[in-house]
Amino acid sequence: MIIQRLLRFLPGILLAMALNQVPGLAQVTYQRLLRADSEPANWLTYSGNYQSHRYSQLNQVNRQNVAQLKPAWVYQIRQAGVVETTPIVADGVMYITEPPSTVTALDVSTGRPLWTYSPSIPADVIAIGSPFGQVNRGVAILDDTVFVGTVHSHLVALDAKSGAVRWDTVVADNKLGYWLTLAPLALDGKIIAGVSGAEAGIRGFVDAYDAKTGERLWRTWTVPAPGEPGSETWAGDSWKTGGGSTWLTGSFDPELNLLYWATGNPAPDWNADERPGDNLYTCALLALDPRDGKMKWYFQFTPHDTHDWDANQIPVLFDAAINGRQRKLVTVANRNAFYYVLDRETGEFISGTPYAKQTWAEGLDAKGRPILRPGMDPSVEGTLVYPYVGGPANWHSPTYSPQTKLFYQAVREVGAFYLKGEADYKPGLAFVGGGQRALTGDDAYGAVRAMDATTGQMKWEFKLQSPPVAGLLSTAGGLVFGGTEEGNFFALDAESGRPLWDIQLGGGIRSGPISIAVDGKQYVVISAGFALFVFGLP
Amino acid sequence: MVTVQRVRAGILPCLLLAASTLAAAQSPSDVEQGRRLYDGMCVTCHGFDGAGGEAPSLSRPMSHTDETLKSIIGNGIPNRGMPRVRRFTDNEVLQLVSYVRSLGRVASVSLPGNAERGGEVYRRQGCTSCHMVNGNGSSLGPELTGIGALRAPQHLKQALADPGAVLPRGTLPIPARAYFEYLPVLVVTEDGREVRGMRINEDTFTIQLRDAGNRFHTFRKSNLRRIEKETGKSLMPSYRDRLTAAETDDLVAYLSSLRGAK
Ligand code: HEC
Ligand code: HEC
Repeated sequence: MIIQRLLRFLPGILLAMALNQVPGLAQVTYQRLLRADSEPANWLTYSGNYQSHRYSQLNQVNRQNVAQLKPAWVYQIRQAGVVETTPIVADGVMYITEPPSTVTALDVSTGRPLWTYSPSIPADVIAIGSPFGQVNRGVAILDDTVFVGTVHSHLVALDAKSGAVRWDTVVADNKLGYWLTLAPLALDGKIIAGVSGAEAGIRGFVDAYDAKTGERLWRTWTVPAPGEPGSETWAGDSWKTGGGSTWLTGSFDPELNLLYWATGNPAPDWNADERPGDNLYTCALLALDPRDGKMKWYFQFTPHDTHDWDANQIPVLFDAAINGRQRKLVTVANRNAFYYVLDRETGEFISGTPYAKQTWAEGLDAKGRPILRPGMDPSVEGTLVYPYVGGPANWHSPTYSPQTKLFYQAVREVGAFYLKGEADYKPGLAFVGGGQRALTGDDAYGAVRAMDATTGQMKWEFKLQSPPVAGLLSTAGGLVFGGTEEGNFFALDAESGRPLWDIQLGGGIRSGPISIAVDGKQYVVISAGFALFVFGLP
Repeated sequence: MVTVQRVRAGILPCLLLAASTLAAAQSPSDVEQGRRLYDGMCVTCHGFDGAGGEAPSLSRPMSHTDETLKSIIGNGIPNRGMPRVRRFTDNEVLQLVSYVRSLGRVASVSLPGNAERGGEVYRRQGCTSCHMVNGNGSSLGPELTGIGALRAPQHLKQALADPGAVLPRGTLPIPARAYFEYLPVLVVTEDGREVRGMRINEDTFTIQLRDAGNRFHTFRKSNLRRIEKETGKSLMPSYRDRLTAAETDDLVAYLSSLRGAK
């Protein structure tokens, strides 16, 4: 019996050994994270690699056979809620989060739970700003520890084999509206985390914690205090409640030793009367030195935002020739409807192109600053502006395929009447000053768009019935996987956008797909509704 | 947009006057602020001056306490088409409540028609062949048992004269996201077969219809040559030329009296 089982696992063990890993021991070293691309059987970080490509090198599932994909197993989420998790898969174990902040480890070949951890969250926990409630996007793994951010604003380190708590650190005061939804990012001995809460008027920051002890190593505020650089872009005390959340996992360039982290909207969102100025460093991308958190450069996409266009989208890193010169790039499909190409060494603006309908800017100037159209601010009566508050892009992941050199984004085409209201700061309550009345229903639609990654020029689009909340995955099999609000999980030809396969999963898809291999066989994983689905070839 | 124009046309000038004089009697600035908020956020559904439209009229006395009104406005009514439009400060909710209350002081307009006679018209005209009331009739069109609580008289009148001008909206905010319900769709299959029906549901890859015979059809979009969404049309015939003005008034009075299962 034992021999038989060993024999059955042998190919997997051999494969694992060939890939220089020890099965059953979740020893995910920093070296392995650095070379995540070289072990495509696993999915070691939120976006698949530090460059945030959400691309899988696996090609067993490809254009020819993708139509044969069948469910291998399904895991039912235990507490109803919106599932935004990207699983982390390492050495035969899949680590997912379930709403609100539960971590569950599953046997990757059967879906059987191995352990689960649920923090005790106070009943009066404050979670303001997410339309989907108390969500979580996943864990990080480093060595033999799994890290999760919680809705009550803790960062917790769990033993990867048992789920036992190694340490539990309070990141910030939840009573002030701070909470954590993002998957942390593991670097060399450090865990990087950011916060949600701009809709409650927090002052945002990016933190680094010692992975072994949970001790805070540094904190970089996203809104400067008086006297600090950028403080001249705030009036009076407005910086104290200035927002600038950091609620989505960033990217990392080990060679430049730079961390790329995005910031959210200034607070209050839609009533900017008390915060004249550019409101640095909100709605921006920050390049931070991971050793001390010092800001090497920043690029602000939407100065003095009045539409809640958080820049919390995934920054994608790749190198490419621009005007004959090879450059290190970071690109972002921003929530304000422009696709930005920046030099990731210096932050220099290279280009910015609309990739969705927008009516608020004439364009971008030579430095990438928007040239505003007048009369686009929110009003009491409502001002019609494209894009809507949710933006064409949001946290849902794009993917970059080194094979096609295309950047794929699930786009939402929606306009909204932007409403201005009162903004009244009370700790732990909504501090938003307005909202929107979106043109939903048949007036809105979605699309998967493929863009030339260096220019943002659209190559093809695949229309979706409604604005999507699901991220994308591209694979070496020449495929792009995505999902819809109506519950369709689908695969497109990465070159042409032609649909090759789809299945109805019975619940909206609000997470990003990943691909892994178990015993040498490729699987594609996605959550939909209250379940997690794993698909493989028959 | 259609809604706003239609409802505006339906407002009686005297009603407007009455609203503003009575409103002035209570904290004028609150009511006025409330009106501005209302015009930005509520008017598309509840009509100008709360005259009603896609959503019920608010210019009538309501039994809600201030607390219930606050909760309705602040949180919406789940799955009934009344959304939480946005987050409000306490003060803004108070202003909206004041405004809605000021509307409620307007004496409810008595409808010109006679509901009993309207019930006769309803049966005579064969509305039953497409609609259900209290479990009787056919289910091709929307159930009308509670239509009087959901729709204002102006809307009902328009529904008879110009069906399709405003189709009912889906009421689940997510995931139905306020699609038009009963949207007429014509599909042509690869082999040239035509099917016309109302959209029951749709996703990126499939569409479900119910035809005029109340038969259900489902299609994969990739197997269709054409999908034509007939926005602005309805499977319900117009009764503009089939009813006298008096019959229309009676019918509207009857429909308005339908306030839910008895
Ligand atoms: C998308 C359309 C829509 C919008 C926008 C909307 N409502 Fe409503 N509202 C409805 C519907 C539909 C109902 C009836 C719900 C039911 O049947 O229970 C309703 C019910 C109500 C009621 C209860 C009426 C009663 O008789 O019990 C109040 C009060 C109300 N709305 C106020 C507002 C206010 C104030 C706003 C703006 C902030 C607003 N609504 C915005 C659709 C809307
Ligand atoms: C051939 C079928 C058919 C007949 C006959 C018919 N209707 Fe309709 N009716 C519909 C359909 C389909 C809709 C939904 C689309 C729309 O609003 O136009 C509808 C909508 C309505 C609405 C609006 C409902 C809402 O939620 O807004 C009312 C009111 C209504 N009908 C009343 C009547 C009355 C009264 C009669 C008889 C005089 C009648 N209908 C006859 C099919 C029919």
